Amino acid sequence: MDMRHIKNELTGEEMYFGKHSSGLGVYVIPKKDYSNTFAIFGTRYGSVDSEFIVPGEKDVTSVPDGIAHYLEHKMFDQPDGSNVFDKFSKYGGNANAFTSFNITAYLFSATANVEENLAALIDYVQSPYFTEDSVKKEQGIIGQEIRMYDDSGSWKLFFNLLNCLYKNHPVKKEIAGTVESISRITPELLYKCYNTFYNLSNMSLVVVGNVDVDKIVKVTEDGIKKNEPFSEEIKKIYPDEPDETAKQFAEQSLSVASPLFMIGFKDTDTGFGGENLLKKSIEINILLRILFGKGSKLYTELYEKGLINNTFSFDYTMQPSYAYSVLEGESGDPKDVYAAVNKEIERVKKEGLSEDDFNRIKKVMWGEYIRSMNDVEDYAVTFIQYLFMDIDYFNYYDVYKQVTFDDVKKRFEKHFVTERSALSIINPV
Amino acid sequence: MEILNINDNISLYSIPMKKLKTSSLGVYIHRPLCEEEASANAVLPYVMKRGFGLCPNAKAVSDYLENLYGASLGAGVLKRGDDHIIYFSAETISDKYAPQGECLVADTAELMMSLLFEPRAFDEENVEREKKNAVDRITAEINDKRQYAQLRCCEEMCKDESFALSRLGTKDGVDALNAEILKKRYEEIITSSPIYIYVCGDADINAVAQRIRAYASKLTFKPASMPKEKIFERHGDVRRVTENMDVVQGKLCMGFRTGTPSDDGDYIPLTVMNSIFGGGAHSKLFNNVREKLSLCYYASSSIVRSKGLMFVNAGIEFSNFDKAYNEILVQLDAVKNGDISEFEFESSVNALINQLESYNDDQNAMQIFCMGEKISGTNYSIDDMKEMIRRVTIEDVKRAAAKTELDTVYFLAGKEEK
Repeated sequence: MDMRHIKNELTGEEMYFGKHSSGLGVYVIPKKDYSNTFAIFGTRYGSVDSEFIVPGEKDVTSVPDGIAHYLEHKMFDQPDGSNVFDKFSKYGGNANAFTSFNITAYLFSATANVEENLAALIDYVQSPYFTEDSVKKEQGIIGQEIRMYDDSGSWKLFFNLLNCLYKNHPVKKEIAGTVESISRITPELLYKCYNTFYNLSNMSLVVVGNVDVDKIVKVTEDGIKKNEPFSEEIKKIYPDEPDETAKQFAEQSLSVASPLFMIGFKDTDTGFGGENLLKKSIEINILLRILFGKGSKLYTELYEKGLINNTFSFDYTMQPSYAYSVLEGESGDPKDVYAAVNKEIERVKKEGLSEDDFNRIKKVMWGEYIRSMNDVEDYAVTFIQYLFMDIDYFNYYDVYKQVTFDDVKKRFEKHFVTERSALSIINPV
Repeated sequence: MEILNINDNISLYSIPMKKLKTSSLGVYIHRPLCEEEASANAVLPYVMKRGFGLCPNAKAVSDYLENLYGASLGAGVLKRGDDHIIYFSAETISDKYAPQGECLVADTAELMMSLLFEPRAFDEENVEREKKNAVDRITAEINDKRQYAQLRCCEEMCKDESFALSRLGTKDGVDALNAEILKKRYEEIITSSPIYIYVCGDADINAVAQRIRAYASKLTFKPASMPKEKIFERHGDVRRVTENMDVVQGKLCMGFRTGTPSDDGDYIPLTVMNSIFGGGAHSKLFNNVREKLSLCYYASSSIVRSKGLMFVNAGIEFSNFDKAYNEILVQLDAVKNGDISEFEFESSVNALINQLESYNDDQNAMQIFCMGEKISGTNYSIDDMKEMIRRVTIEDVKRAAAKTELDTVYFLAGKEEK
């Protein structure tokens, strides 16, 4: 496998990358003097991918909600009856996995025996083994995982908001599915999903840490099993999503101390990945800080009135097929906060944004980028998330430098539309 | 690690970590955990960071940090056994990455020193607001049911001891505060507490020391000494507490007395024992309570070092209480009997060493580790710890496990459960 080498003079970072004949993308980022190494083996497959057309087939395959997450759990069982965790434990590696809306990933961190741990990772993710019994056994464990989230105010707050923002898009569904949907999962369905989404041409391996690049490449090449890369894309089917929200308000009662709120803005400028998506996300992140950051007019006002406290935060989530920004916190009166947010947006529409604010906050974005390369785990996870959106995170600066005050002003008009916002509240029982 | 003593109370520690792209400063003010102080200690850092000499109000603080490419500033309180720690933390990208050659680290240190030595926000309005926020934090402890169950278990277990106090103080204690009381508390604390300041990353330690000396020279310090830690001991029956709440999953928390203080020869074996018992995916609790019996999504154990406690947590169906409870005790007995495979033992040792090693890449974790060592008085380095862990035998683990006794069983059950 040919590995290309690039160096970023601004950050001092280096990267080696290449594509194996199996279709697997391999990215190695050496971090000199680090103790820790982190590896992540991920597939472009998450909870939103319950309808798809397998390359070479004509018909649409529909599978139960929660199956991507279920599959992740079941990958830890091995054909020889062993448990995957045991292999890592033996080498002192700390193994884990996660399923998000768009990614399923298997990972480990280790301060020793990196090559042995990496070989174990590459092996088990290519070794599916599902039986009636083993699939059934997991229902108890995942059932308790779902129950745990049912008691979590912040989790329910978030999904209730997504159900306001989205009419059809499966991002509104819980990642683990429901107790009912997972009861329909069978070994055959798991194999079908595995054989589709775990084709190596749909996957990437990212290794960040104090590593010998040649050894990492060798372990990877030796570990790859026979794989016929797909010559066409897996067609993922998402229902049409209108610009308007499903509803603008949701509330639920749970055992929480004071009301939790989450305000969302549905981003309707979607359908693209790559540089344009990165640029959009930088613009929106700058706007969120200008409008709602700790130094903003609105934050100061709400904090001084006691309508928000230190738990207040904001975030922007983006994917090619959907995107939204959220503001969340605790408040004695969430409806007042929501009204104040929309009033502030109207005020800024009239009075305009400040260029000083823009220049100051743009610096913050650079600091965040630099900081994101500190921790091997954060770096690798961020890198693969961006990679799967066709964004070159390594060369972030090339897009960052293009973002102008004018772009941010235009983005403000497009993104912060009151009619496309919603409020979710969790009230104390 | 380089240590500079600024005076009898304040010590400055330099932990170079130039491989990282950031530099950070941590200030830890060491207080005893007691009812008279806890609430004031918990509110104080939040008031202090609202305004000080260099940045007179919150907006100025925010602008200052943003101009440093988004430097961060945190504040809060920690509880370590019978000690209460007021902390401030700041982090910036290192000067090497400042696009226009700015002195980000020195400017961040300056902000921290001003916050520490010249806080200015002790007015009624600020104090009343932060009192309300402090009460919000106390009541919000109920929001995370897993943590809440452990908090309640600990409260029940250590009744009548200062350790039962929340790090956040009490609602009544916070209500009783006012601007004048807090300002006085600040003046007492700053001159009569051990203060540990850690500088991590790529920073000029002497320049920081010089700035601290300049500020400290304006104050008169009093001797500061903290009582030695005392582990939890009790005789008598196991306490059993069930509480009902509107929840769909039960939260079981079991509190154990370990009988082993952190400066005891059995302390390191105890950490290995905890790792074997419930310290991760290699542990007996994970593999039996979760994997074998499918009773839960999580089941784990952890040690409260300076208090000689161990807690086991699991989220279960209400009706599975007995099954889970019994299995947890069966697994503890297995450890006590030395029924430990070579694989379990090695995995546990490796997991602990892996975790210690990883602190070398994390400035915050490294500061907390060093601060913990300082407070417990053991002052082990990461290498010392690794060496001691490697020397532990199964016999050592059995000996540490034998002293472990169940003390309190707490169950958070649904509304209708009995």
